[in-house]
Amino acid sequence: MTKLLVIIGFCLALLTPAAAQNARLVSTLSNDTIEITSSFDGERMTFFGNIAPEAGSGQRFIEGPFHVIVVILGPTQDRVARQMTHNFGIWLNTDEVAFPRFPSYFHVLASGRLREISDATTLTSNFILPEAHAMVPNPAGWWKTLVFGRELIRLMTEENLFGVQENGVNFLSDTFYSAQLILPSNAPPGPYIAQTYVFRNGEIIARKSEGFAVRKIGFERFLAQSATQYPLIYGICCVILALFTGWLGGVLFRR
Amino acid sequence: MNVYLPIAELSVNLFFLVGIGGAVGFLSGLFGVGGGFLLTPLLIFSGVPTSVAVASVTGQVVAASTSGALSHYRRGGIDLHLALYLVLSGILGAFVGVAAFSLLRQAGQLDLVIALGFLILLGFVGLLMLQEAVRAILKQRQGIVVRERMPHQHSWIHGLPWRVRFKKSRLYISVLPVLAIGLFIGFVGSLLGVGGGFIMVPALVYLLRVPGNVVIGTSLAQVVAMMAATTILHAVQSQSVDILLAFCLMVGGTAGAQFGAAAGKHLRGEQLRGLLALLVLAVAIRFGLSLVLTPSDVFSMAVMGAAR
Repeated sequence: MTKLLVIIGFCLALLTPAAAQNARLVSTLSNDTIEITSSFDGERMTFFGNIAPEAGSGQRFIEGPFHVIVVILGPTQDRVARQMTHNFGIWLNTDEVAFPRFPSYFHVLASGRLREISDATTLTSNFILPEAHAMVPNPAGWWKTLVFGRELIRLMTEENLFGVQENGVNFLSDTFYSAQLILPSNAPPGPYIAQTYVFRNGEIIARKSEGFAVRKIGFERFLAQSATQYPLIYGICCVILALFTGWLGGVLFRR
Repeated sequence: MNVYLPIAELSVNLFFLVGIGGAVGFLSGLFGVGGGFLLTPLLIFSGVPTSVAVASVTGQVVAASTSGALSHYRRGGIDLHLALYLVLSGILGAFVGVAAFSLLRQAGQLDLVIALGFLILLGFVGLLMLQEAVRAILKQRQGIVVRERMPHQHSWIHGLPWRVRFKKSRLYISVLPVLAIGLFIGFVGSLLGVGGGFIMVPALVYLLRVPGNVVIGTSLAQVVAMMAATTILHAVQSQSVDILLAFCLMVGGTAGAQFGAAAGKHLRGEQLRGLLALLVLAVAIRFGLSLVLTPSDVFSMAVMGAAR
């Protein structure tokens, strides 16, 4: 049933924009790379833009009211959600559902209540609702996928990796908006996509996507790269460092 | 002041890391143990991923044991011949341990096995030590002179074949129990991220009857060599050794150990062993409770495939 709805929604989404899209979005973001340094403790980002009439349409103004949703999507990972049950007097992981290519970071900033901006079908088919990411077909069966997907999203939300801020977008004028995001310190490095949707009367009238990167730089990047690319040398260096520190400690404190 | 750990991919307070390194180092200097059995659980309970905690603590254990091993070596307190047998079989055990570590992590049972392992091992060793320490203290109160060790007391272990003469330990015993101890400690140490000194010392004393003057030194030398190999194995196999995390712990640990060793001179042997036993038991109970009590969250998540 859910699958069917998603398919119908997707078809609708394909059909409708041609008729409804008569606006243009001029947008940008405050930084296109976020650098993880040794003191990285999260970073504030700003997305802002203006809703303008479509180029060549001859219109000078465009009538609102508008709603804007900015969806920030991190690199995908293969995640697994596990459930513990009580057996033989102890708690152990007995059941699991894998979610291949699940976003490692997902945040929605909106200018109002999502359900008031548009209907669930549009939101789901455009992957604006967090739940949409867990609804992809899964060999574990749809019921288990639903239960474990919900729990996975809850866990991700607790880690600050998933979230919905329904007051995240502010309109500074009728057509000019800005949105702020505080990227947490545990945001995984990799390519990110920020997708902006402009809604009017529950329909998407413009959309735009921009990319930015979160990456380790300098020493952190060097360490992380050597750990994965030259694991043997990295390991030997760790041991040499340990032996040296131990020896030095002995020498320094001998007095 | 927060520091970003590149492998664990999270930001942790620097003073917290150096602090727990120092506190554990103090205790390890006081009791003459590596401290891995305290540090790994502390890191796990404070939010560092289990795999990163275990792999990085192996690096810390190398540093913590090096200064001790060196000073014992200068005093001639290491039976290198015996240590060689222990190290070679230990590295073999570490290979198996690191492979098991990867398999268990993929199956999602790593945390369970680590908790069970700590519970059984620490519970068993802690009870034995406590019993022995209490008996020694009671006997001393009653004025009975206790003989520390019983040399030339043979058990079935001394009847096994392939005997080798270990000159420094004044032993002529079969290599089989020696290799078995090395193998077991290599396996357990790499799986749980502990040096295994707290198993090695009783095993050498009670099973092999190694004399007291070389027990600690030989055990330390074995820990250094085996944990160095384990660190490299973890770095290659699971790529979860966080050098920055390990370094912060090392700095705290080596400094703390010196103060611990100085403080240890004011306490008597049986008292020290009794306190250590209580500490070991406390960690075991903590792990036991985490297995038995209803967890606050029955769901958990992990990233598959990637090392971290």
